[in-house]
Amino acid sequence: MWTRGNDFDRMFGAMDLLRSRMGRLLNDFDRSYGDYTFQVETGPKTNLYDSGDKLKIIAEVPGIAKGDLNIRIQGNYLELSGSRKVETPEGYKAHRIERTTTTFTRSFTLPVEVDAERAEAALKNGMLILEIPKIEAAKPRQITIS
Amino acid sequence: MSEKSEIVAREERMPEQTSKLATLTPLVDIFENDNEILLHADMPGVPKEEITVNIDNGRLEISGTRKLSATGSITWQEFGDAEYRRVFSVPQTIDVAKVNAELQDGVLRLHLPKSEKAKPRMVEIKAG
Repeated sequence: MWTRGNDFDRMFGAMDLLRSRMGRLLNDFDRSYGDYTFQVETGPKTNLYDSGDKLKIIAEVPGIAKGDLNIRIQGNYLELSGSRKVETPEGYKAHRIERTTTTFTRSFTLPVEVDAERAEAALKNGMLILEIPKIEAAKPRQITIS
Repeated sequence: MSEKSEIVAREERMPEQTSKLATLTPLVDIFENDNEILLHADMPGVPKEEITVNIDNGRLEISGTRKLSATGSITWQEFGDAEYRRVFSVPQTIDVAKVNAELQDGVLRLHLPKSEKAKPRMVEIKAG
């Protein structure tokens, strides 16, 4: 009877090991699902919304100050570039570093011609919010039936 | 068979963790000096009010939700509403009452001061 109990213990021990391995694997998967490793190479993730008379672009730029971010628009070509420095604060020793120092450039071809003069950009909670009006010719027009 | 019932119970608890929001693991940096442990976490798009920091019995949980208030049709979308969540084990020697956090540019900075008795102490050797 005693040996049987021991066998059970061993079996559950192996199952626990398997479970913790699986847990670790899933964690790694979650991490890669967040796609941050990808971000390091290609720049921040962005969304583009079209609200008729203007385009709205939002991008994830955590930890990047206003001065370290550049936005260039030329015709319907948009380029976002920036850099982020991650340093160990003075007098501290680092246990874990996952956030990395990066420099990125990301460019897009916008679906329509835009009026770069009236573009507005804001930085809020680590998100860049860029609103660019379309040029008059590209705005939707209501046509009345005569 | 207490082991068996525990394994079953854990499996049953799993579905509670799935929520409608995508759960993201924020990237963190962890630093330490003699006085405190400092944690930096990237949580872009999460406003201050939506962040919760929970310390309970050696378990630190940071979480925050992000809601994008976007109007217009989506031309492309690479990220959406999400919940950031990550759990850490912290030493019991953290002085929970003095923990403070700040949020700047989407980065949470969490200061976890060590309690007095956990700080390193220089022992003076008396001349005999």
